[in-house]
Amino acid sequence: MKPEYHLQVSRLCKNHGRRLILNELEFSLPKGSCTLLTGENGAGKTTLLRILANLEKPDRGRLRLTEQPWQPWRKMRRTLQQRVMYLHQHPYMFNGTVEYNLRFALGSRVPQRDAEPLIGKAIRLIGMEAFRKTAARTLSGGERQRVALARAWLRSPQVMLLDEPTANLDYESRQRTLELLQRLRNDGMTLVIASHDPLHFEGLTEQRLHLQAGKIEAVALNMNPAAQPANVVSMRRDYA
Amino acid sequence: MSALLEATEKALELLISGDEALWQIIAISFKVSGSAILIATPPALLIAFALAYLRFPGRRVLVSLFSTLLSVPAVVVGLTLYLLLSNRGPLGDWRLLFTQSAMVLGQIALAFPILVAMGHAALQSADKRAWETARTLGASPLRAFFVVIRETRFGLLAALLAAYGRIIAEVGASMMLGGNILNYTRNIPTAIALETSKGEFAQGIALGAILLLLAFTLNGLLHYVQGKGVQTS
Repeated sequence: MKPEYHLQVSRLCKNHGRRLILNELEFSLPKGSCTLLTGENGAGKTTLLRILANLEKPDRGRLRLTEQPWQPWRKMRRTLQQRVMYLHQHPYMFNGTVEYNLRFALGSRVPQRDAEPLIGKAIRLIGMEAFRKTAARTLSGGERQRVALARAWLRSPQVMLLDEPTANLDYESRQRTLELLQRLRNDGMTLVIASHDPLHFEGLTEQRLHLQAGKIEAVALNMNPAAQPANVVSMRRDYA
Repeated sequence: MSALLEATEKALELLISGDEALWQIIAISFKVSGSAILIATPPALLIAFALAYLRFPGRRVLVSLFSTLLSVPAVVVGLTLYLLLSNRGPLGDWRLLFTQSAMVLGQIALAFPILVAMGHAALQSADKRAWETARTLGASPLRAFFVVIRETRFGLLAALLAAYGRIIAEVGASMMLGGNILNYTRNIPTAIALETSKGEFAQGIALGAILLLLAFTLNGLLHYVQGKGVQTS
């Protein structure tokens, strides 16, 4: 059966000054898959994620979203912004409570009475009910990472890009983050995780893209449906 | 020494008794400087934001220009605007010279570079992830702009207080553009200059006390908001 793709990228190029960062990249993200993006420091992992999240412009490139024709990158930027979510390595917390940070993701499009249950669900998803009124900036790195994941989840993106989501986290925080990622994947979200530690994500990822010298050098496919722990509960929410 | 004590005593009397002329001067000062800050702040913040967040040709030159304008003396600003607004100047038809509007213009010209330069510094040092996070969470550019303003509010408030402190105490531009007309364009600094030149120190001391109190309050507020800014970062 022909695989269904959330996102296909073709001839993606990016220079920083005279330095070639990404050189004619070609890759696809299967729907509901988890892709591990590896590469040395400076290989262009973060740049690639930021381009996919429309935080940076590529010099050239074409893009194809599910069931749609190929388009030049510039025509797809708004669509990318709506469908793709990027999480910084150290997520930024707005000055306010955890609840304020989660509420922000819903914006003004969701009325207060509808927002409340969604925020409650998001807080339960990350197991931080007791922290609802806590100032987000007083949280630990692992807790911030979880709040950022819940905040992103509230936007119901189709693709989530995570930049080193487990870097500098202790064992327990890492496990909690991995469990959350597993839940999101089970709900059909397409994940791309940039990391130096492929071992942390073993079993979660099906595809590995390795960036070297501006090229995706190796694409290792590792379809592993056994990645799903039995106790993972689906937290799928209806897309607004 | 006794003359100084006598003048101080009289100054206190003027302040406490609610001397109408004195409080009129104070009211004019606050009205003119308040208007100038209110008018100058929104465009100055937009420019500061553009300089901090956008990349365009000439950006560095503009940053240097606003930093340079910080050190332009008030009398030079006053002279330039005087030449523009005088009968023979290009804006003479506006008939603004020796009005409160002219004083407001002068104070805007003085406050603007402070607001832009200090605002730019606050926004430049702010975490760029605030903008990016807001945008990735679906905020429009306008909403993301207000998010960044909210996140840097203590630095921006410090810029606002510094600009207000500068213009309420300046004498050169107000004297040249307002003409120091009693009950109309006479503000605290121009009144102090006039009363001192007349040898009438009591009113000068009373108004000086108000300025000192204001400076003390503004500095206190400045330290407070800067402290809050450090705490919440």
